[in-house]
Amino acid sequence: MTVGLGFDEQQRKAVIQCSRCGFCRAVCPIFDVSKRAGSNACGKMILLREVLDGKLPVSEGVAQALMRCTTCMSCTVNCPSGVEPQEVIKAARKEMVGLGYDNLFKAMGEVVEKYGNIYGEDERYDWGHKKGKAPYVLFVGCVGTYREEESVAETIRLLDLLGVDFTMVDEVCCSGVLEDVGYHVKEEMARHNVQEIQKTGARVLITTCPYCFRVFRDHPSYKDLGLDVKHITQFLKDFDFRVKTERRVTYHDPCDLGRHAGIYEEPREIIRKIAANFVEPERTRENAMCCGSGGGFRGTFPRDSLKIARNRLDRIIEETGAEILLTECPSCLHNFRNAKLRRQKIEIYNITEFIAQLYREGASREKEAA
Amino acid sequence: MSLGQMRELVGIVGKENFTDTLEELVPYSYDASVNAHRPDCVVWPESTEQVSEIVKFANDRRIPLVPRGAGTSLSGGVIPINGGIIIDLSRMNRILDVKIEDRYALVQAGVVCDDLNRKLAKFGFVFPPDPASSSVATIGGNVGSNAGGIKGAKYGTTRDYVIGLQVVLPTGEIMNTGSRTMKCVSGYDLAKLFVGSEGTLGVVTEVTVKINPIPRHAMTAVATFESLEDAGKAISQTMTSGILPSVMEILDKVTLKSIKENTDIDLPEAEMMILTETDGFTREEVEAQMEVILRLFKGNNPSLIKTAKDERERVDLWKARKSAYATLARISTGFVLDDVTVPISKIPELLVGIQEIAKRYGLVVATYGHAGDGNLHPQILYDEYDREQVEKMERVEEALFRLAVSLNGTLTGEHGIGLSKANYMMLEHDAVEMAVMQSIKRTLDPNNIMNPGKMSLEG
Repeated sequence: MTVGLGFDEQQRKAVIQCSRCGFCRAVCPIFDVSKRAGSNACGKMILLREVLDGKLPVSEGVAQALMRCTTCMSCTVNCPSGVEPQEVIKAARKEMVGLGYDNLFKAMGEVVEKYGNIYGEDERYDWGHKKGKAPYVLFVGCVGTYREEESVAETIRLLDLLGVDFTMVDEVCCSGVLEDVGYHVKEEMARHNVQEIQKTGARVLITTCPYCFRVFRDHPSYKDLGLDVKHITQFLKDFDFRVKTERRVTYHDPCDLGRHAGIYEEPREIIRKIAANFVEPERTRENAMCCGSGGGFRGTFPRDSLKIARNRLDRIIEETGAEILLTECPSCLHNFRNAKLRRQKIEIYNITEFIAQLYREGASREKEAA
Repeated sequence: MSLGQMRELVGIVGKENFTDTLEELVPYSYDASVNAHRPDCVVWPESTEQVSEIVKFANDRRIPLVPRGAGTSLSGGVIPINGGIIIDLSRMNRILDVKIEDRYALVQAGVVCDDLNRKLAKFGFVFPPDPASSSVATIGGNVGSNAGGIKGAKYGTTRDYVIGLQVVLPTGEIMNTGSRTMKCVSGYDLAKLFVGSEGTLGVVTEVTVKINPIPRHAMTAVATFESLEDAGKAISQTMTSGILPSVMEILDKVTLKSIKENTDIDLPEAEMMILTETDGFTREEVEAQMEVILRLFKGNNPSLIKTAKDERERVDLWKARKSAYATLARISTGFVLDDVTVPISKIPELLVGIQEIAKRYGLVVATYGHAGDGNLHPQILYDEYDREQVEKMERVEEALFRLAVSLNGTLTGEHGIGLSKANYMMLEHDAVEMAVMQSIKRTLDPNNIMNPGKMSLEG
């Protein structure tokens, strides 16, 4: 008797619902670079079905295949059969870990627990912003804090310029990403974040990271938070910005903000206020192609992750002719910036970072004029 | 296959273009049909020369070879039923040349239909065959299965557009056949022989296709009918009226009921819904054709007629048709999607017959499809984990094929014979014809290495 996955009837049905039409090939970022039938959702549903039917033993190979998914949800949006592959895959990853197929995220979990961030960094960057009581809390998250500090500095500057009375906290990783890679949110860390945030007496929690946003808003470990959780694009959409750009601007929908959280309009409302020349890529909104960094994919398969980001950049440049690519996700930003080649003539910013820079440019012009 | 043989293959394509890892082979054991069998390995060639070497290698050692595009076959066309090597052509996906002035495009076999059409659209042109899987289906796969689609009645199928091919023959030789011209009667039309040959005669590596200008205007209408006879008359009168609609799709009562019950699309109860479109290069031309259709529809007691005034309404009218497959796929754990085709006037008889068969075996069969060319898609719903239902499904299929052939129809209009219909070839083709097909197969592929087990060619 081989060891199988402990899927319940509902999970089994989700797997066999796949009709193998293969339509997910057209939208899977990993298939796009690999052209291997096992890399898109349909291939993984076939694997899982054979495992569930007892035709294929659970193996390291199955575990590895399941890791090849950014959980970008593009397949779900385009699946005629109504399968939600990223949910099936996340559940299967947990089962695989339970069966002893520990992936490299076991180490990441330990690192998160020890250091409070996914990178195992000792020192947390401090932007020197105030901590303590305020009506708003800004939560930055790991990628912003340890990999895109300068971008976050600009976001903070923008909030200051707009007169937002916000505080920052002694945050640790929200640990939500562990749910995607076979593990669970670390309750102790969730409690720490909840306590730190509540201490500020704030009414609204603002996140720059759409993944943290989803975790704070939706994960049961954060149910006692008691604050209104807003992604920074939601928070800023009604603000007036006194700056504008004439340059051609486009926008990349982060999977976590768009398909996963349903936030498409807010970032666009902000961009329309500051950019007269705003063009959409061909694949946009719910059909936006993933940047290749989600679901633990960047950590496990860095080369393919960069290749996906590079391809996305190539297509965006070709389709829009834009000089500026905006997004509002530290992971997308980080992956695009790492992937960008010299020949790819496009500047990449988070929206908030870009607006802060427009203010800076405006100020220096005024100074020159004076 | 032995380890040594695998090593030889790696020598041809390189390590990154080869796999024999079990977990990678599993997805290559399936397509969109009910068939399954493991290959021994998969290769992703990057050039015609590599394909040629792979084929020579396989032919020398009598190893089965199955060329594969996107693997969307609904008939088991790419199942390696005897094991062997899958040649996945997805990495040969370059559009080599677009010659608008000469009205053709030259592409590698792994180019995806929609990718070609995105490129052609920039010039106002299109490669017309439009299978539902066009977002993923490759041109090579289209050639193998002679893919059609919704606009078949007006614009034909893949065969009507293929003017030239590069094929690696089962012996490994590279053959260039056909021409780059709109007309050509120079020798046997070998390119057309390979269209629809399901990979049994060689590996297509490059395809030259004719392209059409995209019509600038279209008009859409929907009508429902309480009686099959009336709907049938409306269709055949339209198709003989002198105008040629670009779309003439139908949805039967079972399909309409499933959509109504499982989606938020509002549909009237009816025996049949017809969705039709006219297209052309001037608004007047399109409207004049639609006027004829609407007049003929109105003369056959429709319970409802709607025309679309703008793009939003057009999308709305298409909703039911577009959701048919998905709705049926969602309400059943398993299904078989067939593609029997009959002369247009026999559509009502076919639909009545299908429901009699469904009733006889106690399975749900929902039918929709392309009435303009008589190509219908009965979707048989069943539970593939229930042995009794599997048997019933097989009986329903057999009865369906017998019915289609008895109406002077064919087993398959666009999905191909593959494995699913191989056993029924003799229903449609007599011994003389089968012998000719088998002899062509033997001549080109004496060792029967190319996609064995398909189309009942082994005698």
